[in-house]
Amino acid sequence: MEARRQELDPEAVARGLPWQGLATARRYFGAGALILLALLLPAAFLHAPEDLEQGPPQRIFYVHVPAAWIAFLAFFVVFVASIALLATGRSRYDLLASASAEVGVVFTTGVLITGPLWARPIWGVWWDWDPRLTSVLVLWLIYLSYLALRTYLPDPARRARASAVLGIVGFLDVPIIYFSVSWWRALHPSHVIIARGGPRMPPEMFHALLLGLAGFTLLYLYLLAVRVRVGALRQMEEVGE
Amino acid sequence: MTELDLEVRLSGVTKRFGRQVALAGVDLEIPMGSYVAVMGSNGAGKTTLLKVMAGLVTPTSGKVTLAGVEARRAGPALRRLVGYVSHETMLYPDLTVWENLLFYARLFGLERPEQRVEAVAYEIGIAESLGRQVRVLSRGTRQRATLARALLHSPRVLILDEPYTGLDELGAAQLGRTLSGLHAAGRTVVVAMHEVHRVLEGPERLIVLDRGRVVLDSPVTGTGAGLQELYLSLLTKGGRGNG
Amino acid sequence: MGSWVRAAALVAGKDLRLEYRTRDLLSSVGLFALLVVVVASFSFPTWGQGRQGVGAGMLWMALLFAGLLGMGRSLALEKEEGCLQGLLSSPAPREAIYLGKLASLVLFVSAVEVLLVPSFLVLLQLDVGPGLPLLILAVPLGTLGIAVVGTLFATVAVQTRTREVILPLLVMPLLVPVMIAAVKATQAALEGLGVGQARTWLLLLTSYDLLFLLVGLATFPHLVEE
Repeated sequence: MEARRQELDPEAVARGLPWQGLATARRYFGAGALILLALLLPAAFLHAPEDLEQGPPQRIFYVHVPAAWIAFLAFFVVFVASIALLATGRSRYDLLASASAEVGVVFTTGVLITGPLWARPIWGVWWDWDPRLTSVLVLWLIYLSYLALRTYLPDPARRARASAVLGIVGFLDVPIIYFSVSWWRALHPSHVIIARGGPRMPPEMFHALLLGLAGFTLLYLYLLAVRVRVGALRQMEEVGE
Repeated sequence: MTELDLEVRLSGVTKRFGRQVALAGVDLEIPMGSYVAVMGSNGAGKTTLLKVMAGLVTPTSGKVTLAGVEARRAGPALRRLVGYVSHETMLYPDLTVWENLLFYARLFGLERPEQRVEAVAYEIGIAESLGRQVRVLSRGTRQRATLARALLHSPRVLILDEPYTGLDELGAAQLGRTLSGLHAAGRTVVVAMHEVHRVLEGPERLIVLDRGRVVLDSPVTGTGAGLQELYLSLLTKGGRGNG
Repeated sequence: MGSWVRAAALVAGKDLRLEYRTRDLLSSVGLFALLVVVVASFSFPTWGQGRQGVGAGMLWMALLFAGLLGMGRSLALEKEEGCLQGLLSSPAPREAIYLGKLASLVLFVSAVEVLLVPSFLVLLQLDVGPGLPLLILAVPLGTLGIAVVGTLFATVAVQTRTREVILPLLVMPLLVPVMIAAVKATQAALEGLGVGQARTWLLLLTSYDLLFLLVGLATFPHLVEE
């Protein structure tokens, strides 16, 4: 009893938590994300030139694409952590997987909001069953069900294993979903899809995109570190150690 | 005592289900051919202890050894060693007793499964119920069918979780005789129960669990009244302590 | 390998015997699938041009629902009297238990299909003709896809408090590729196309089935561990 009370000293507790390195670095991630995303505003609106075909709406690109990149990164982390969990049985991997899934769902939601906002002025519709956007929608549904499943399983060990299986199956499903949706669309040539890419991107646009990618990656790491820390504290409370 | 004489050994076994601690550092040694009764109030960790012994639950920490082999490594071989009777029948209600037993006999890869099922059914006294669906059996007969299922593969260790619950006096007495018979035939029998007077009808050793800890481990002696008093005193003490 | 096949066959055989004994699932799920097709016929244009596409979609919605009911029931059956624990306490490999449950689910949904597909063709006045070989390939491949993922997550769902709700939630997004490919291949078959013209979809279904069969075999033992 005495020993346990001593352990509840916050600093000592924090040192014993899993993913301590990540948690310690979270302030740097947060500060870095703040600076880069503050720079992204002028970069996207002033530095980068206006798109000749699309006009101002194209500027949502600098948020939309980084958010999509983070969504895939986050779910890739879920995938790897899930395999590690099943291989080792160590709960720290479940912590990482669940934290990354939560953050991933947030970014995926961002993609699904910015996507239609961009599509409306350019394609004339809020939603088009474009392979990329559709895959992200399905992905969003898969990881929402991942988070839902976690709330339905009270035993932590069982919850960790069951959600790990979903984390693995869900991620392996991603390329298959993408190809199936692309081919599904390819057989309906009646819809007009504006070809992206086209001419080479001017360097100023590329700068803004890079800034967005770097800023969002730091933001992801910051949110991941915070979620992992919260999860670790909650886990500690659950286990009672 | 050598390793091989020991049927089951638990060292420092802890099992947690989230917040809940089912077993908190249990050390136990059960020699071959023992007849052990496990008691304790509901939620004391009896079921988890039995499942850990049967190799059905992997402990959070600690080591379980069955017949000298660590449970985690033993795999399928270990499952041939143990017969487990849980709260549930583990039988399909819509199949007949015969179909259920034959299915398990084949799943265990027994030779001549039909003969084996007949032999066990005869031994346990359910031969006349073989053709009936489990759904329509009386509680007592169902319990015997459950026991027969666990005995099909002639396990060296038989582990039963509260088999007396819900049986009438006749059925319970019959079950008690069957277990004593199995023990006399050299099997190791571990049985969890609530009925103090049944402890006097066979078991040689009594283990009492409270909040996941062994609070009593002694040979069965004395009278029913004495045992009852001892048991209740242990539970009350457990209830007040641990603060 | 031999022990896997033997144990899987035992588990599947047991499921078939149970179904034969009670007969409640095949009749009710078969009737349910037929109802989906009939009610959908009132909701979608089922005559004239393009009814092949609509029909293929209806058929697979009905089969998806039938599969969901079947897989939920199949695992609930093992949980009811602690039978899953019984299976796990036997020396049978866990992978074989997965294969057995998978096999019985595939057989069950196939039985529904044998009843449903002909009535569906009659109701929608569709003449398969030259598309028959493609139909005969596409339907089982799609069924297998539903079953490999379904068996895995029905095992997860049965451990939760509200298994009826969580099962479709888990399975339906994962089955999007199966639904797309199966519907497209079936549509092609209903339009009288040959196997070669739906090669992409059959390939997609086959890869999906194989990939998730392997993933299922690798992960199922973790799901039933305690």
